[in-house]
Formats: sequence, C-alpha cells, structure tokens
Amino acid sequence: MKNKIKIERARHNLTQQDLANKIGVSRQTINAMESNKYVPSTVLALKIARLFQLTVEEIFLLDEND
Amino acid sequence: MKSYLLLPSRYKWIGAIILVPSLVLGLMVQFRDFAFDFLSLPSSPRKDGLSNIFNFDEDINLTDELALTGIIVALLFIAFAKEKHEDEFISKLRLESLQWALLVNYVLLLAATWLVHGFGYIDVMMYNMLTILIFFIIRFNVVLFKNRSSINE
Repeated sequence: MKNKIKIERARHNLTQQDLANKIGVSRQTINAMESNKYVPSTVLALKIARLFQLTVEEIFLLDEND
Repeated sequence: MKSYLLLPSRYKWIGAIILVPSLVLGLMVQFRDFAFDFLSLPSSPRKDGLSNIFNFDEDINLTDELALTGIIVALLFIAFAKEKHEDEFISKLRLESLQWALLVNYVLLLAATWLVHGFGYIDVMMYNMLTILIFFIIRFNVVLFKNRSSINE
C-alpha cells in the first residue's frame, strides 16, 4: 500500500512530531508509515484522513502487490 | 490505544532495579554456593512421604528461590512495561519480537539438546527458563532503537 502522508503533512506544514501528537501516536509510527514499512489500522487511517480533511482513499492507495 | 496486559512504563526501571541484585545473588548461588543463613529451613518430613514447601525430607535453603524469583519478576517487569508511546506500530514490533524470541529460543534449545549431554543439560534447561524473556527484551529494544535512528526529516 502506498500513501500520501508525507505530501499532506508538508502541505499542512507539520513535522512528523506535530502529526504524531495530533493523532496520538509515536513519531516512529509516522516515520514507518511514510516509508511504507507499516500499514496503519483502519482507525488510524480514518484519524489521519479526518485531520487532513480528505477521504481515506485520497491518502491511502493500493499498489500492485496488494 | 488500549494495550493488553502491559504495565506502566516506569516498571521498566523498577525491573532493572530488582534485576541487578537478583542477578548478582543468582550468580553467587550458582558459582560460589552462596546461601543466606536466615533462609535455611530444617527438614520436617511428613509421615506419608510427600514433599512440598512446608514439608521436606532434607534441610533446604531458599536463597536460590529468592534469586530466581527476583530475576523472573524483574525480567517480566522489563518485558511487559509499556513504551512511552505505546501505539499500534509499537505493538506490532512487540509481537514480532516475541515471535522472533520464541523461535530463536527453541532453535537454540534443539541445538543444545543434540550438543549437550549429561549434567550439562540441566544447566541448559536452567538458562532456557530465562532466555525467552531475555531474547525478547534484547530483540524488541534493538528494533525500537533501529526505528528511532532511522527517523530523518
């Protein structure tokens, strides 16, 4: 799965730590998601989407391996 | 996030504080035959020949029980203490580390089963009581450290 967290984070001018604080996870989790090492739970995906005022599908995309 | 069966993160330090003296005591019992006199209990055999903590055939000393209890409790505290930011990703790392530790532990036990014979095998089993927890703690912290150090902005 691919995601646009890094792009959206830059667009909203947030650091990894800011984003982590806003959605209540560790900075490691944000980093792992941005580097595609971790696929978040549905709850976390929905929280990220709500924060960026987008739908989940606008941030998270299936890739050819899924 | 709700975390299952975990202790507050300060237990990591409580565990470390218990571990140091317990480990020293355990090593002294193991390699120096050390024993606290006040933990000696005289034999008190039961008529039916059964043996338990209150009735036993020979004099016993509870120093080794104390040391092992301290070591196990300390390792459990360290292993089950939450991280400061225990979230779903950390939980995943925690579970993967546990899986890895379990596998490595049994691979080593199998190897030792074929390589170590006689009384030496009793030592293998003794250390094996603790190695799952030790391997887990080491693996989990290495993975956490690697993840922390891979953070670049």
